[in-house]
Formats: sequence, structure tokens, C-alpha cells
Amino acid sequence: MSATDYGWLILAFPVAGLLVISLGWRVLPGRLPGWIASAMIGLSFLAGIGAFVQIQDLPSDERAVVASAFTYASTGDFKVDLSILVDPLSVFMCLVVSGVSFLIHVYSVAYMTSDRGYSRYFAYLNYFVFSMLLLVLAANFVILIIGWAFVGAASYLLISFWYRRGTATHAGIKAFVMNVIGDVGLVIAAFLLLDKTGSLDYSGVFGAVDHAFSRNDTTLVIACLLILVGAFAKSAQLPLHTWLPDAMEGPTPVSALIHAATMVTAGVYLIARMYPLFEQAPTAADISAIIGTATLVFAATVALVVTDLKRVIAYSTISQIGYMVLGVSVAAYGAGLFHLMTHAFFKALLFMGAGSVISAMGGVQDLDRMGGFRKSMPFTFVAFLVGACALAGLPLFSGWFSKDEVLAFTLNRGGGYVVLGIFGYLGALLTAFYAFRMVFRVFFGDPVPEARELEGGHIAHHDPANPMSGESEDVDVGFPGEEHHIAERDWPMKVAMGVLAVLAVIGGYLQVPGVDDAVSKFLDPTFESSRFIDDAPSTAAQWVGLAMGGVVAITGVTVAFVAYRRRRGVTLELRDRFPRLHNFLLHKWYFDELYDAVFVRPAATLGKIGRTVVEADFVQGTIVGGATRIVGAGTSFARAIQTGYVRAYALLLLLGVGGLALYFLIASS
Amino acid sequence: MTIHLSIILFMPLAAGVIGAFLPGRSGRWLVLAATVGVLAYVIVMLADFDRGRAGLQYVTNDRWIPELGIRYQLGVDGLNLFMLALTAISWVPCTLWACFRELDRQRLFLFNLALAETAVMGAFMAQDLALFIVFFDLMLVPFYFLIGGWGTGERVRATTKFVIYTLSGSLLMLAGAVALGVLATPDGGQISFSLAVLQERGVPDGTQNWIVLLFAVAFFVKAPLFPLHGWIPETYRSTPIPVLALLSGVLSKVGVYGFLRIVLPVMPDGSLHWQELFIVIAVFSILYGSVLAFSQDNVRMVVAYSSIAQLGFITLGIFAFEQKGAQGAVLQMLNHGLVVVPLFLIIGAIAARARGSESVLELGGMAFRAPVLAALFLLATFATLAMPGSSNFVGEILILFGTFEDKLVYGLVASVGVILAAVYMIRVFQRTMHNRVGPAVESHDLGGLDLATIAPLVALIVALGVYPQFVVSRTDAATTAKIQPARQAAAAGQTAARAEAP
Repeated sequence: MSATDYGWLILAFPVAGLLVISLGWRVLPGRLPGWIASAMIGLSFLAGIGAFVQIQDLPSDERAVVASAFTYASTGDFKVDLSILVDPLSVFMCLVVSGVSFLIHVYSVAYMTSDRGYSRYFAYLNYFVFSMLLLVLAANFVILIIGWAFVGAASYLLISFWYRRGTATHAGIKAFVMNVIGDVGLVIAAFLLLDKTGSLDYSGVFGAVDHAFSRNDTTLVIACLLILVGAFAKSAQLPLHTWLPDAMEGPTPVSALIHAATMVTAGVYLIARMYPLFEQAPTAADISAIIGTATLVFAATVALVVTDLKRVIAYSTISQIGYMVLGVSVAAYGAGLFHLMTHAFFKALLFMGAGSVISAMGGVQDLDRMGGFRKSMPFTFVAFLVGACALAGLPLFSGWFSKDEVLAFTLNRGGGYVVLGIFGYLGALLTAFYAFRMVFRVFFGDPVPEARELEGGHIAHHDPANPMSGESEDVDVGFPGEEHHIAERDWPMKVAMGVLAVLAVIGGYLQVPGVDDAVSKFLDPTFESSRFIDDAPSTAAQWVGLAMGGVVAITGVTVAFVAYRRRRGVTLELRDRFPRLHNFLLHKWYFDELYDAVFVRPAATLGKIGRTVVEADFVQGTIVGGATRIVGAGTSFARAIQTGYVRAYALLLLLGVGGLALYFLIASS
Repeated sequence: MTIHLSIILFMPLAAGVIGAFLPGRSGRWLVLAATVGVLAYVIVMLADFDRGRAGLQYVTNDRWIPELGIRYQLGVDGLNLFMLALTAISWVPCTLWACFRELDRQRLFLFNLALAETAVMGAFMAQDLALFIVFFDLMLVPFYFLIGGWGTGERVRATTKFVIYTLSGSLLMLAGAVALGVLATPDGGQISFSLAVLQERGVPDGTQNWIVLLFAVAFFVKAPLFPLHGWIPETYRSTPIPVLALLSGVLSKVGVYGFLRIVLPVMPDGSLHWQELFIVIAVFSILYGSVLAFSQDNVRMVVAYSSIAQLGFITLGIFAFEQKGAQGAVLQMLNHGLVVVPLFLIIGAIAARARGSESVLELGGMAFRAPVLAALFLLATFATLAMPGSSNFVGEILILFGTFEDKLVYGLVASVGVILAAVYMIRVFQRTMHNRVGPAVESHDLGGLDLATIAPLVALIVALGVYPQFVVSRTDAATTAKIQPARQAAAAGQTAARAEAP
């Protein structure tokens, strides 16, 4: 089989899973839907390996194969096939996506066991994986946009999965609308590119870009910025990030899969995929790098103070994607995508650990109420700790190799990029701190009642209440379930976390500077026409970057250790001394409030004006009223001759027009 | 293969008339069989249709009123092929609905439905302007009785408004048509209303301008577009669900179809004259319809106002005078019909589970007890908001691309409508299916009849989303041909303007 045959198979398995589960939801018993879904994603991963092997067999300058199934829509210069592109970048993404998805499916098989929407959950999950794979395999802009919107829809469905919760459905709408804004950005960008290059296929656009546009051509810069709107909406970068923290309303494995490991990194993939455009429009690339840096610092500062465990990890995700965006925007494609991969491992792991803890807490997510879970949940503790070390970038863990390579590339570009690099290290310091803030507050200290109970062998049950609003839950559907599943007790959860923990440690060794550089070497054929292909920092410079990163990370962890283990009051003191700063951070820099004032409320007001003033006064009052008055005049005459007034009106008009017609007929003869 | 359009045209009416006199239950079976028969015949026609040809196929051309030059002239090309399909498809579930519900005077209801199908089919098939107007006005009759006789609430007021609006529109159009026929007749020539003849003869520029305006009023009322949508709120509220599905899904297309069939080819200069105004009306309708849809509490009214926005998109695509735009408009005419019909049937099912309530304030949380309903509604919702992957998306992106080409700013403003559509449609889905169980709700899943009416339509939406080229390949040639005169006029105008410039 050729590489593209495997490409079609990668897509076919999740679709098959979706169909089987959604059509058979009434008859599939117990955990079977979960296992079917997992098996399909596993097969998809195997097909990805097949594509990987096939593509490695090709000569390095022919490693981009396109296959078309049929004409999707074609009129005039708008020619779109349902086609896929198999090249190192898409294979790399497929492997990361299907691999991590497979583990999270396995985890979910246990985690969601007692949920009443079990089949629905796995149908959505398979749909999501299909969409994500379609997104990365697309060979033209329209199929890309389809995959792009599908993942948004899947994300919406899974965020509001517990749909009796008002907070969940609200978060779903918010995510959906932000994503649609991104889609529209992509649509307009696609038009500008079609208009100038005459093609919607990647190959056509990228082949024509150098002679269709001069360097930094205004149209091209605008097109790139519109692509960034799409990328940033999906990847929760400033200023389109507000939906992601709210998306934590979804089940925890969903947060791990969609809102950490895969979907939110689609923006990074997109920028990397569009590199021929961004290299011809360096202004747009620089804007992207600046926003990435701003986001990584901003989100890290918020993660310092937020007390909801899942939201800390969510802000951490926003921050880490900032690093990836920075990487692919400064032409460190290999490094940025490498970080995408390691982040998928350790962030999924952190979410799974958090899910286990939250289950043990009976649904409570507040850090203030957690503590001392080290003894009662040893497996979760170790796994979470590994994830935190990788996130913090402690030497020899995977995050260290990837994140600090991004920063080494950034510094290597010189000039203003050095400033971005320094902010990157600042962010790394904050990252190390908040990563271990979580570890110390959840697993160390005096065990809370829930932890004690677990040590005694059972899991605490709270009244089912929505942790965000305090409302009592509707027990039909709409809350995480009364049975709590923790990694310690359910082997599928344990297996998934174990594998990810191993990957979070050894994943980094795929790309050791000067030793193997496996990821970059594999991806190089995709980026061979990049202008910066020979500008990579020397091995020595990369090691210097890694060393600096290591020092920063150790410093951050040490500070966290002092603050949360040695001198415990110090964080409270700081909070009391700088209440305004604390408030500012706690309100996430007031972005939600700003949007509410600028967009949401004016839109609602506009709707009200439309309904009351325009519709009631103008359309119904002036136009309809005017018409009625004219009719009224006619009907008073009609009433005088005692006929039903609609009929009279019609009759009068008919007579009038008949007369007119007659006039023309006579005039013409 | 020979396809006789007259069979398609008169089969429903014949069944309706005979069915009205048949005793007991056999009447409704006959009417149902006729709508299914029409659908089957249309499917045969779809299979047989020569997709490469721009011109008319299966032409029927007979003398009717020779003194006035009116001919019984029918034909099919890419422009109306899928409109006929849409009509045939939509009438089946709605007739099915009417056959198996407890209805007062059921036979009369079915007769009216059958008459309406014939009238709509006729309006889409007619290739003679006078014949078109006959059918266009004939459509009004059954709908007048259906709304007046089986409507709810303030149905008298509703029918009055509906009739006044549509009748004023069609009488203005009649005046325009007569003027067109007369003024186009050369000295000593025989008057003719055949569209092909009219297109060949043409009328002077200045005359075209005001005739176009007369037609536009009729078509805008039918669509409806802002500000001629005043009949919408009351009529939509009172109309019985299956009738409303047809009114909004199929009848609204006759207006915009008229632009492509009659106005653009016959009066290209007049169309060009008003292009800017009509685009503004279209764009404004998109925004206005979307904003109002967003602020409605009644589910039915959300779909009603969203239709104004959708028809705005279609009109925008037509008046962009660009191939992609017109192609998108033709595709979207089909798409909109295919989503609106199941949407209204779903709303009927929702109201049946909420003691007749259609207000989102009283609804919610239906999905748990009615998962199949929720799934079908979800798919219809996604298609309505033109999610990429649906055929509606292809239609909308073509319209937008066509508009961007020459009218970038209008296109960008219209794009806002895409975002608003996501907001109001998801909102409606969520506030009926999700959240806490509403006070009026007693949910249970779809029964066999509901499933039989709704599910096939949703399946069709999905199928077209996978393979929209099925439609595009058949409509492309005719659409391109129909907008060619207007494009030439626009190009000539630009050349003239350039020549005048120093």
C-alpha cells in the first residue's frame, strides 16, 4: 500500500467508530462502545505508522504525496477536491494526534464508566479525532477549513457534554463562537490567496507565492494575519483565549485530549504548514512571534494565582502554546513541533492526574481544599510529578529539551528576537513555579478529609454540586457521575497514565542537540525550501540555551519549594501586600469583562433596538401601518358597498392593473 | 428518454381533485401516492438530465392564448432542476404529515396542498412570462386557504397581511410584465411573452430600470427581504407547521429564482442599474435578520428571521454578477430549502413535547429523553449555520468569494452574518435540547411518523455535504449562461467609465 492509502485508512477508522457507536448506541453493552472507539483510534495510529514507514522509503525530495478521492466542488476558478497530503509534517501530526488520542480513549473507558452518556461520549470523541486528522491531512484550504470547523464543533459538543449544567452550555457557546470567528478569518484568507495565486491547493498556493507576491506585500500580510486569527482562535492565544479556561467544564479526559494535547495546538500546525507564506511576509511572522511571547507571559502570570486545579493547567496550556507559536514564527519549525509533541505527552498526563484527584475529591476542583494526597494516591502522585517536572523544564525531562530549544533558536535570530527570548525565560521561571505550586498544594501538606478517607479505602462523596456555580446537579445527566474513578483502582487509567509518564520522560531524547535530532531530521523534507533551513543555532549554542533553561527551571522550583513548603505564609503575605496586582491577575487581566462591555452588551442592545424600534416602529408602524392606512381608505369605500375587504381590495387592484394592461395593449396596436 | 413535464406539473392537482371526491381514507392515499410519484419522476429526470448543457431540456411548447402571444411553454435547465427536486422532496414529508394527523377537513387540506404543489412546480417550470405569473399568483390561493382555514392565533389578520403584501407585489409584477411584453414588441411584430423571445428582443435601458423595480418588489416580498418582510411575523406565527415548512423552504425561492430566470437575462441593464441598491438591501437583510433572530424567544421566529438573512445571502450572490456568486446562490437556494423544511418539522415535534409552547423560556433539556430528536436537530442546526462540511457552507463560501471579487466591503460585512448565524442557531439548539428541563417540557423520543418525515431530509443534508459537486456539476452551465448578459453589461459599463476618465 502506498503512503496515501494509509492516509485514507487513518481517516477511515475513526469514521467507522463514529458510525458504529452512534448507530448502535442502544444495543452496545457496558464498556463496549469505549473499547470499540479505542480500538479504532489504535488502528488509526497503526495506519499512521504504515504511512510513516512508506514515506521514509521515498527519496527525501519526493516525500509529499497528494491523493484525491473525488471533486468536492468545482466552478470557475474555485476548484476543490477531497484530497489529502501525506508528507512528514502531516504524518508527524497524525502520529502525535492518534497516539495521544488512543491513550486518552483508554483512560476514558474507565473514567467515564458510570456516565449515562457513555456511547454519546465516545461517538463525539471519535468524531473529534476524525476531524483533527482531516485537518492535518488536508491538501487544500477548503478541506482544511472543514477539518478546522469540525474540531470546533466536536469541541463544542464535548465542552457542553454535561448539558444540564448552565455553566457548561455557556462555555460551549463561547468556544463555538470564538472558533467560528477563526473560521471566517480563514475563509477570507483563502479568498485572498485564491485571487492572487489562482489556486486553493497548498501546492498551487505555495508554488506561486514567491512570484505572486513581493516580499511583505500588503495583501499577503493581511492574508497571513487572517490566518493568524484562525490559528489564535483555535490555539487560545491573545486576545482570543478567553474560551479555553471555560472549556474546562468538559469531562477531564476531554480537557486532556482536545484542550491540551491536540486541538488547541492546531494553530501551531497551521502556522508551520503555511511557512512559505509567513516567510514571504515576515511582518506577519514577527507579529505572530510577539503575540506568542505576550501570551506565554500573560497566561503564566494568571496560572500563578488561579485556584481551580483544571484552570491552572488550562492557563498553563495557553502559555505553553505561546512557546510553540513563538517557535514556528521564528522559523524554529522542528523545535516548535517538537515542543508540540512533548507538551501533548506531559500536559495530557497532568490532566489525567488532575482528573484522578478531582474524582477522589468527589468533583471538587479547588486547590484551597486539596492537600496531602501523596500517600493515598501514590501512583497518581508519581505520574503528576513527572508531568510537572516535564512542564517545568527540569533537566533531562522532555519539556527541557523542547522548550529550551525553541528559546535557543529565538536567541539565535539576534536583534529584537533576543528580547522575546528573555521574556521566554521569564515565562519559564513562572512555569516552573506554578507547576510545583500545584504539586505542593495537591500532594503535600496535611491530608484533607477526602485524602484520609481514601487512605482508609473509600472515596468521599459530596452532594452533587456544580463546582463553578454551586448549583445542585441535575442527576439525570449533567454531572461527572456518582461513581468516582481514580487511577489507583482502574487499570485502563493506570496504563494510559503510565505510558504517558514514560513518554514525558523519554520523549525528549528523540531530539538531543548534536546527538540524534530525530524530529528535525524527519521533518526537514517538509521545510526544505525554508530560507532559514541553514540558520539553525550550532550544537554548542543549543546546549547553552538548554543549560540556561535548566538553571531557570531549578530556580523556579526552588522558589516554589520555599514558598509552599518552608515559609508557608509568604504567598499570603504577598497577596495582602499587593491586593491590586493579585486582583488583576485573579480576574485574568479583565479580558472577559472587557469583551462583555465591548461586544456582548452592545450586540444585545442592538438586538433590542432592532426588535423594538426598527421592527415595531418602522416596519410594523410606518411601512405596514402606512400600507394599512392606504388599505383602510380603500376599504372604507369597499365597506360602503358591503363586500369583504380583502376581496374588495384585490378586486380594486385587479381592475386597476387590468386597466393598465388594457391601456398598453391598445397603445401597442 | 422523454420526460413529460406536464405529467409532473398536473399529477398532484389531478390527485387532489379526485381525492377530494373519493370516499373515506382512499383519498389521502391517492394524494400521497401522487406526491411520491412526482418525486420518483423527478429522480428519473435527475438521472437523465444532461449536465453539460446550458440550454433547456424536456421542452414543452404549445399555443395557449395566441391573441396575447401567451404560450404554454415549460422547460428544465440547471437553474430550476434542483428547484423542482426541492419541491418534489419537500412535499412528500409535508403531505405525509397531513395524511396521518388528526386534521379538520383533511381532504380539503390535502387538496390545497396538492394544488400548491402544482402551482409551485408550474412557477419553476414556466418559460413564458405570462405563464410564470399565472402560476406565481396561483400559489397564493391554496396558501390563503391553508393559513386562513387551519392557522392558529390571529389567523385572519395574518392572512390579510399575507395576501395584501403578496398580491400587491404580484400585481406590480403583472404591470411590469405587460409593459415588458408590449414595449419589447417591434413595430408590426407579434407580441410574445416567451422568455427566450423577450431576451432576444430586449427593451431600452431607461425602460428596463423601472420594470426591474416592479419585478424586484414582488420578488423581495416573496423572499422576503428587508424592508418588505412586514408580513412575516404574523403569518409565520399563525401558519400550520407543514404549510410553514413549504412556505419558507420552497415558496421563498420562487422570488430569488425569478431574478435569475427573468430579470437578469431579460433586463441586464436595468439589473445593473439597481445592482448597488439590491446588494445593500441584501447585506442589510443579512445583518438585520441575524440580529433579530438572535433576539427572538420563539423558536419559530428565530428560523423565520434567519430565513431573511439566508435569502439575503442568496440575493447577494445573484447581484454580485459573478459566476461563483451566482453558482453559490443557486446551490444555497436548494440548501436553504433542505434545512428549513426539517427545521420546521422539528419545531413542530418540539412544540408537541412542550404543550404547544415554542418559547425558549419554557423549553430546555429535551435531549435526554429524546436523543434521536436532538441528534437530528443538531445536524440540521449545523447545516443551517453553514458549518464547513455542509453543502450550505459551499453555497455560502461561493457567494462570499463571488462578492469579494468586485464588492469586497459588502462581502466583509456579509461575513459578519456568518458569525451571527452561529450564535443564534446554537443558542436555539441549546435552549431547547440542553440546559435544565423547561417548565413546559414533557419529552419523549420521536415516533415513527416524525422519524419518517424528518430523518430522510437530514440524511439528504449529510449526503449533499459529502458530495456537493452532485449539484454544482448540473447547475454550473445554466447559471453561467443566465448571468452572462448582466456580466457583459457590467463590463461594458466599466469600459465606458474608463473611456470617460482622462
